[in-house]
Amino acid sequence: MADPATPAVQIEHLTKVFPVPFRKEKVVAVDDLSLRVRPGEVYGLIGPNGSGKSTTMKVLLGLISATAGKASIFGRDSGDTASRGSVGFLPENPYFYKYLTGGETLAFYGKLCGLRRREIRERTAELLALVDLEGARDRRLGGYSKGMLQRIGLAQALVGEPKLVVLDEPTAGVDPAGSRKIRDLVLELKRRGITVILSSHLLTQVQEVCDQVGIIFNGRLVREGELDELISIEDQTELVLKNASPGLLDRIGELVAGEEGAELLHSGHPRTTLERLFLKETSGESEDGSPGR
Amino acid sequence: MTAGGTQAAAERGHKLFSPGRVWAIARNTFTQLVRMKVFYFMLIFSALIIAVNFFFLGWTLEQELKSMKDAAFGAMRIFSAVFAIVGTALLIPKDIEDRTLYTILTKPVPRFEYLLGKLLGVLLLIAVSLAMMAALFFVVLYARQHQIFADELAVLPGEPSGPEREALREAIFSQGVQPRLFLAVVALFLQAAVAAAVALVVSTFASSTLFTIIVSLMVFLIGHAQSLAREVWFPEGVVHSPVARVLAGLVAIAFPDFNLFNVFDGIAVGQEVPDGLMLRLGVLTAFYLTIYMIVSWFVFAKKEL
Repeated sequence: MADPATPAVQIEHLTKVFPVPFRKEKVVAVDDLSLRVRPGEVYGLIGPNGSGKSTTMKVLLGLISATAGKASIFGRDSGDTASRGSVGFLPENPYFYKYLTGGETLAFYGKLCGLRRREIRERTAELLALVDLEGARDRRLGGYSKGMLQRIGLAQALVGEPKLVVLDEPTAGVDPAGSRKIRDLVLELKRRGITVILSSHLLTQVQEVCDQVGIIFNGRLVREGELDELISIEDQTELVLKNASPGLLDRIGELVAGEEGAELLHSGHPRTTLERLFLKETSGESEDGSPGR
Repeated sequence: MTAGGTQAAAERGHKLFSPGRVWAIARNTFTQLVRMKVFYFMLIFSALIIAVNFFFLGWTLEQELKSMKDAAFGAMRIFSAVFAIVGTALLIPKDIEDRTLYTILTKPVPRFEYLLGKLLGVLLLIAVSLAMMAALFFVVLYARQHQIFADELAVLPGEPSGPEREALREAIFSQGVQPRLFLAVVALFLQAAVAAAVALVVSTFASSTLFTIIVSLMVFLIGHAQSLAREVWFPEGVVHSPVARVLAGLVAIAFPDFNLFNVFDGIAVGQEVPDGLMLRLGVLTAFYLTIYMIVSWFVFAKKEL
């Protein structure tokens, strides 16, 4: 196992500048960015389009080189091919070889990871079960839906038994049910102790799965921290009651009014999310996310 | 995907060069190209040109067998060269466009292995296609030479003597299936291998498939005229300056002399294949493949994806 003191990912003062063809000016995609991801945590990298998320990931994965600064994966320089032995990557909107079946795709990527024939057989079966594609094992990827492609993409990212998985917009273009499956897979990876870096525009999803979040804007990391710390409003307290009578609510209101400086800001029924409502109506789940009818 | 599993992954270690990874990419490239519709179109077109020769009738036996070989080798030459260039030109830009390349290069796969695997996949396909077309052609040619021999015997007045029969057989069969035709097929393969390597170099810095195809075809055509240009600019018997010699060497590297591989042209006019020619062609091909792989790697290693 990796030394727990060694960060899964360490990016120090990373800057990436792209020249503009036939012009003097340059585009600064990432500007002096530093971040650290601990082993076993799920790190959410969020930011608007063009903020530098994908560029940061590409440098981390050795697809492009840094103009300045450095990045490392479990202590190894990310420019070193060997560092990719412990990484799995799912790019945004990936197209795999559509003439290969699901099983053949995993076997191909397994060979690239240096797996032996028996290991490939076992890993393929295990991963197809994990991403719920056992029934589509012998179907060509050309016939897969968007959600299935994302899940086979996730499976190929995991085929080499990586310690770090990098997911770039894993739910882009996927319906809520598919999106939920991917979210559950990320939580499963976390349960198994695999470090995950997740870039997504779906902030609700990031909030559901991430331990740590970094916000990138204009190539700079403008906020970073534990999710609970970042989103909690320190001077407010939430109280959710079940089967409270109007009398009880009145008494609580009176108690709050009698406390100097305290103020009741809102009282009403909590709302479910549109995603949960959609899943309840289309898959029979109850509103708290558990299987219903 | 247990802790033990990741431990096993760590223990696998990383090999600087892995023939297994290269072979996986080569096999996948072979499958990728086989599944392209254009491949089937060209293969069927070439096979038809070869097979249709079986029905050429009414010429003299010499004309007929010669025209069969001309047409068949012409088809194989066009197929192998065009597919080497177009097939190779399609591979890398498509992998970049589809982002499939990201999923490959973010595995522990050095860029050199990716390029080598792609080139080997193209060469494997060209070898298999040429072998299939040559096998078909040799079967057709073999059947035709026997049919012509039987027809000629039938029209001879009376029963030919043993020596007459043997002379006729020798005259017909010398234009039929001969070992030197196999060498001509091997030379076509070597020529296509160099053309594929040219396309690989161009595709590493080109921004589109079309550009790669056009530039590679131009190099291929200029390469055919290289020996002519060399004779004009550097005539034999004249002492050239070192600068001119270096320049000529660079031109020879940039534009391989593809005419050297046209072994069939000599065979078609009844020449024997000179001793050692195939070995020289093999060494020349290895030289070009090595140079072009190094240049491709040099460009591709720095490429921002």
